[in-house]
Amino acid sequence: MPAEGVMVPASPRLDRAARGAMLALALAAVAGCQRDEVAHFKVPKERPVVQTASMAGMGSMGGGQAGADLAPAAVPEGGGLVWTLPQGWKQAQGGGQMRYATLTPPVPGKVDVSVIVLPGSAGGELANVNRWRNQIGLPPIDEAGMASGRRVLKTAAGDLSVYDFVSEGTKRTRTIAALAQLEGSSWFLKMTGDAEAVAAAGPAFLDLLGSVRLESH
Amino acid sequence: MSRTSAAPARAPAAPVSTPSLRERLLPLWDGITSLKLTIVCLAALMVLVVACTLAQVHLGTWGAVHAYMRSWLVWWDIPGTVLSLPIFPGGALAGLVLAVNLLAAQFRRLELSWKKAGLWVVHAGLILLVAGEFVTGLYQKDNRLSFEVGETTNYVFSPREVELAVIDTTDPNLDDVYSIPGSLLSRESLVQVPGTPVSVRVKRFMENAQLGRLPEGEAPQATAGVGTQVAVRELPPVTSDDAVNVAAALVEPIAGGRSYGTWLVSGALGAPQGFVHEGRSYQLVLRERREYLPYALTLRKFSHDVYPGTDIPKNFSSLVHLVNPRAGEARDVLIYMNQPLRYAGKAFYQASFGKNDTLSILQVVENPGWLLPYVSCVLVTVGLLVHFGIALSRSVRGQARKQQGAAVGAAEA
Repeated sequence: MPAEGVMVPASPRLDRAARGAMLALALAAVAGCQRDEVAHFKVPKERPVVQTASMAGMGSMGGGQAGADLAPAAVPEGGGLVWTLPQGWKQAQGGGQMRYATLTPPVPGKVDVSVIVLPGSAGGELANVNRWRNQIGLPPIDEAGMASGRRVLKTAAGDLSVYDFVSEGTKRTRTIAALAQLEGSSWFLKMTGDAEAVAAAGPAFLDLLGSVRLESH
Repeated sequence: MSRTSAAPARAPAAPVSTPSLRERLLPLWDGITSLKLTIVCLAALMVLVVACTLAQVHLGTWGAVHAYMRSWLVWWDIPGTVLSLPIFPGGALAGLVLAVNLLAAQFRRLELSWKKAGLWVVHAGLILLVAGEFVTGLYQKDNRLSFEVGETTNYVFSPREVELAVIDTTDPNLDDVYSIPGSLLSRESLVQVPGTPVSVRVKRFMENAQLGRLPEGEAPQATAGVGTQVAVRELPPVTSDDAVNVAAALVEPIAGGRSYGTWLVSGALGAPQGFVHEGRSYQLVLRERREYLPYALTLRKFSHDVYPGTDIPKNFSSLVHLVNPRAGEARDVLIYMNQPLRYAGKAFYQASFGKNDTLSILQVVENPGWLLPYVSCVLVTVGLLVHFGIALSRSVRGQARKQQGAAVGAAEA
């Protein structure tokens, strides 16, 4: 061993230690960088959980805490909509955030039928029509475009505005959606899914729309 | 004859002495290995500990630790400006210099002999202690797991990190979750979601924001989703223990060359947001960053025990059912105060509760270097014992020799 006060030149041992330290630092840096990558997980579907208040109750939102499961949307005062379920269709209350009901048609393929009720005008008809179009990749339209695409269906609960949109692309998605303003609430009855499945369930869905009526409590 | 040639012949000059590299580095080596540097580093760490403790009042535990202990420099924000000045070495810098100093001094001063074995072990223990803090700073994950009685969960989440989850919900049984971490979102750039035709252009990322109803006449920043009815205002990030950042971002999903509009995403929005591309349904969710586990935990029972006749808490415990299909494992575990479940590199501690004692929150710590401080303490203790033992042995032998010498002298006298 060198005596105290004498400088030790870079020895192979020190050199190895320095190289080891550099390697460790490089590995640490690489490990740190890996946190910046997009990660992929395949996980079982989880129960729908809301994180904070729904839009309907939104005043000043500042939470971020996990919340409870959202109960099915409440029936507005004055009563809700009822309809005649086509043969073979199934119905469940709730089924997701803001949903009043979820319907399942007896057709193969991917198709989702939902009934959603929101207070007030829920942003207005044009905003909702463009939201549906946006969900399947269609560009927004203006009032005139909306009017030309609207089909009015007369029901016992009043007039329903019905829209039918099909996406572009090789695998097309179709949405048939109806909107009704009833007793200060907006009702949305929407069927969306693979174009073939929606086409198969479409006539029955239109029958269902034609059967809607207001049920007083 | 030139003047040069007329000059008297000089004696051969002695070679000019230029300092070698070794001699030039000597002062630096002296400085690195000096005891003064050790003391300065230890003093700086003591100052940092005091400052960090006091700063927790305003910054919270996490904020203070990151500002003072896990930073290279301590910065001072000049009031009234956007400028910051480094005013003190941070814990990372002081620790690194101390580790280098100890290591260098070890190589320079200590003899490789049994006589100095104790000091070698003590130095190794101290270096390991500093190295352990670096391992903790780099690799420790501090997550949470919350579940209600009867609920099963298979992920933990980080309360201080966010992710934009692009979820392909097409499959009726399984979701494909693509997690874009907050560190990527903060770059506000185009992010390709691998394995999908989807890219996400991050137009704006807010670490903390306030959301509210969009006032009449104000144009929304989002063009799609529920964000078209929401006003968003950026706020300064918070670090204190009783405050939570509410992150928000404006993102534009692009798929197949088609833009699906600008969406506002935030943990404060409860409504689902999604779009369909080529028959596949995608959801966009900004949430606390998740880490999915290859096993699942179910909360069977949560207990909040109090001392009889009082409301003073005595014990909190969670009876958890652990199922790991890969390991063929299914068993009940009781997690209670200071008795964590240690499983697969993670420690699950009972941390909090809520919802009238039906919700249990576990702190989930993963630190590959968690044993290092214990090993370090053992090494330092053993090293000191060995060193003092050797010193004692030498002293006893010296005393014996002295007594023997005195006895021989007395006998000769």
